[in-house]
Amino acid sequence: MVHKMPSGTDELIADLADAIGAGRVTAGGAAREIYGRDSSIIEGGHSGPVCFPESTRQIAECVRVAVAHGRDFVPRGAGTGLSGGAVPCNDPVVISTTRMNRILEVDVERRIAWVEPGVINLDLSRHLAGTGLHFAPDPSSQQACTIGGNLANNSGGPHCLAYGVTSEHVAAIEVVLSDASTVLLGAEVGDAVGYDLRGAFVGGEGTLGIAARIAVRLTPDPPVVRTLLLDFQSLVDAAETVTGIIAAGIVPAALEMMDRNTVEAVENFVEAGYPRDAEAVLIVELDGLEEGVTHEIKIVKRVGNENGVGTVRVAADDVERELIWKGRRNAFGAIAHIKPGYYLHDTVVPRTRLAEVVAKVNEAVERHDLIVANVFHAGDGNLHPLMAFDPREPGVMERVYAASEEIVRIAIEAGGVLSGEHGIGLEKRGFMPLLYSPDDLSAQRALRDAFDPVGHANPLKMFPTGSSCGDVMHLAEVPEGVWV
Amino acid sequence: MSPRGRIVLMRAAQTGGVDCDDEWYDAMETCMQCRGCEAACPAGVPFGELISGTRSAMSAVRRAPVHLRVGLWALTQHRLLLFGSRILAVLQRLRVIPRVGFLPRRLPLVGSRLSYRADGDVILFTGCVMDVWQPEVHDACQYVIEVTGSTVARSGPTAGCCGALHEHAGLHGTARRLAKQVVQALKGNEPVLVDSAGCGAALKAYGDLLGTPEARTFSDRVRDVHEWLEERMESLPSLPDGDRPGVIVQDPCHLRHVQGAHMSLRKVLSQYVDVVELNDDGLCCGAGGSYSLLQPELATAARDRKVDLITKASGLSGAELVVSANPGCSMHLAAVGLDVLHPMQVLAEVLEAGIDPEGVRDGQ
Ligand SMILES: Cc1cc2nc3c(=O)[nH]c(=O)nc-3n(C[C@H](O)[C@H](O)[C@H](O)COP(=O)(O)OP(=O)(O)OC[C@H]3O[C@@H](n4cnc5c(N)ncnc54)[C@H](O)[C@@H]3O)c2cc1C
Repeated sequence: MVHKMPSGTDELIADLADAIGAGRVTAGGAAREIYGRDSSIIEGGHSGPVCFPESTRQIAECVRVAVAHGRDFVPRGAGTGLSGGAVPCNDPVVISTTRMNRILEVDVERRIAWVEPGVINLDLSRHLAGTGLHFAPDPSSQQACTIGGNLANNSGGPHCLAYGVTSEHVAAIEVVLSDASTVLLGAEVGDAVGYDLRGAFVGGEGTLGIAARIAVRLTPDPPVVRTLLLDFQSLVDAAETVTGIIAAGIVPAALEMMDRNTVEAVENFVEAGYPRDAEAVLIVELDGLEEGVTHEIKIVKRVGNENGVGTVRVAADDVERELIWKGRRNAFGAIAHIKPGYYLHDTVVPRTRLAEVVAKVNEAVERHDLIVANVFHAGDGNLHPLMAFDPREPGVMERVYAASEEIVRIAIEAGGVLSGEHGIGLEKRGFMPLLYSPDDLSAQRALRDAFDPVGHANPLKMFPTGSSCGDVMHLAEVPEGVWV
Repeated sequence: MSPRGRIVLMRAAQTGGVDCDDEWYDAMETCMQCRGCEAACPAGVPFGELISGTRSAMSAVRRAPVHLRVGLWALTQHRLLLFGSRILAVLQRLRVIPRVGFLPRRLPLVGSRLSYRADGDVILFTGCVMDVWQPEVHDACQYVIEVTGSTVARSGPTAGCCGALHEHAGLHGTARRLAKQVVQALKGNEPVLVDSAGCGAALKAYGDLLGTPEARTFSDRVRDVHEWLEERMESLPSLPDGDRPGVIVQDPCHLRHVQGAHMSLRKVLSQYVDVVELNDDGLCCGAGGSYSLLQPELATAARDRKVDLITKASGLSGAELVVSANPGCSMHLAAVGLDVLHPMQVLAEVLEAGIDPEGVRDGQ
């Protein structure tokens, strides 16, 4: 059924077109269908008009017109978000940053680049090739996701273990607030005087305003990079190796784990030579000076041997290294080789309890007659259990939701948190009271209100609320009997 | 618009969740069909099948624009094509016609300079427009194949056009008719070698397009010329170490994303030249079959991006030569003044110079 737009929409469209040009506004059924969702399994979002501003001023105009019409606005990057942050509720004006994809300035000396929010993460890395610098956050979705989205979700990536997540790589942000004014948060060099509002804005999921220009910090390329692939006959051994490597005083550039089901699925796609008969594989990346890296390789091998490693493969060249990473980056999508649909969780548990938590998660999911595959940023205890299912199977979603609740419970019982890097969005807003007291939540709301007193900036996200949006409500209810 | 977005819209059209209005059509028509999404898709979604089915259904409702239909019809009329092209070539030399974006700046006045046989160890597929506009590419290709010691027959006008552009435009019926004609004309067991990535991809897909055992057997015989050469590297002479020219490789989508033959090309070329990469995962240059005619704005934007990368790669490596294994791409890039050769032309030149240095100098 074609969704009808609320009354007043024609005037809204006309005003938006007047403000930023008719070629930058669309409100047809096709656009609203596409912009009604992101990469999560959340269905049922309804967008109003979709705008494609090309400058800070035009973003401000979109915000001004939306608010004047009493409509909400939802910033949107590439829509690769996994928690429904960009899913529009109640026909808001969707403000897409895809046409703001210019890299404005690269200052190699000061290691700063000013970019527009719609710049694709990988495009920035490619642009920097040859300068000896790179942008460190590398979410697996880097081929598609935008720097604005990375900032709004404070995204991570395999290399954030050593280099830190997005927040550490954002120096300053030009923000359009919901009163259509523009402010600069942070500073290109040093810390801005006063409260760190830049820090508050990063991870705001579009509820505090829209990032219109971003100064990102650039990181020098390491002189030497070596990538190792280790395989194990048991997940516990792999997890022990992770703990052992960190305990030996090494912080690898990246430390990733995949279990047997994941390897099987990924290998079908990349043929990277991952051992299909292993219960778990570890990707360990070491970087730095030649001597240091050589020394660390020895330590990693020793720790591996102590924990029953099968083989240790050191990538011979960049091609082999890239293939190993290509497999890891495509792990989520490759799950389709098992079943056409997946639902992915994103929790963080203390690293030392990884093996125990995974065993419990696997047991729970399998008890609900679902297939589970695990991909982890093992180095920082970030777990991504994926439940693979066929959405056409009757009753399967109920089993998925039931298993989801158990996963959240298991993670929180083990001292974990709700989200490692994918954000709260719509998906996990109902779980917030599990981690935060009412006082904590109202303090956070006060921050939100300070940025957006009119409450039109991507509302309904992040905070538990009674009003529904999309078909996700049954997911967001606090599971009964959960222990906080 | 992303492939994910287009799939959402195709599905919505199927379930009635969206009106198929101009915007919806636009979303489908602006797809370059580069199939880069397929190569990148870890889930193995057959996007090519989805979009070509959709385009075919669309063409039943909305007819393609007249100039496209006339153009595609002309491709199937070899003599007319040849005749028209020669007239244009003369007019170009007399400077009585203005520059037309997609036409080569100097259409050839004569065809192939090589003699070829009715039967050979391999059949070189010559197609339609390439045979008329770029006969020197087929000649270079034939020369290189002959250096390996094999004899070459050509598919010629009886086999004619492969129908790739027709399928691309949603003209499924014509594409099938042309496919049948090719299969019929090229019976036998010899490998069918192709030097146009778009045609090669189409010929390899005849099995699925026609669904007959003959078509499947035919498709199994089809090889991109680089794939075939890669297996015969030992039959190519090793030349004395000398200057290795740097060559920037532009990957046609149908070579890289559809046929996956781009590594063969590198293996063959790198024996004699230094391959310079663009490091863009084979992003489309915007030619996209007839895309550059139908969506000039987007095609130009894609080309600008490619030209920037080429300029950057050229600046870093010092290489000036650009090669592309598809006539559509090379014409599209040549239209902004880039000199683009077919890899076989570079190889033929290097081999000729290495095998018979005197001869080449004489020829110059
Ligand atoms: C296959 C796959 C792999 C992934 N891997 C990772 C991973 O390794 N690590 C990780 O952290 N995440 C990962 N993700 C999740 C996702 O890619 C990231 O959250 C990414 O940063 C989102 O960027 P986007 O441009 O797609 O944002 P969107 O999905 O469009 O938006 C995300 C949120 O940001 C807000 N937003 C977007 N732009 C702006 C702006 N300019 N100003 C203010 N708010 C804005 C939106 O309102 C929304 O709340 C993955 C997703 C997929 C599909």
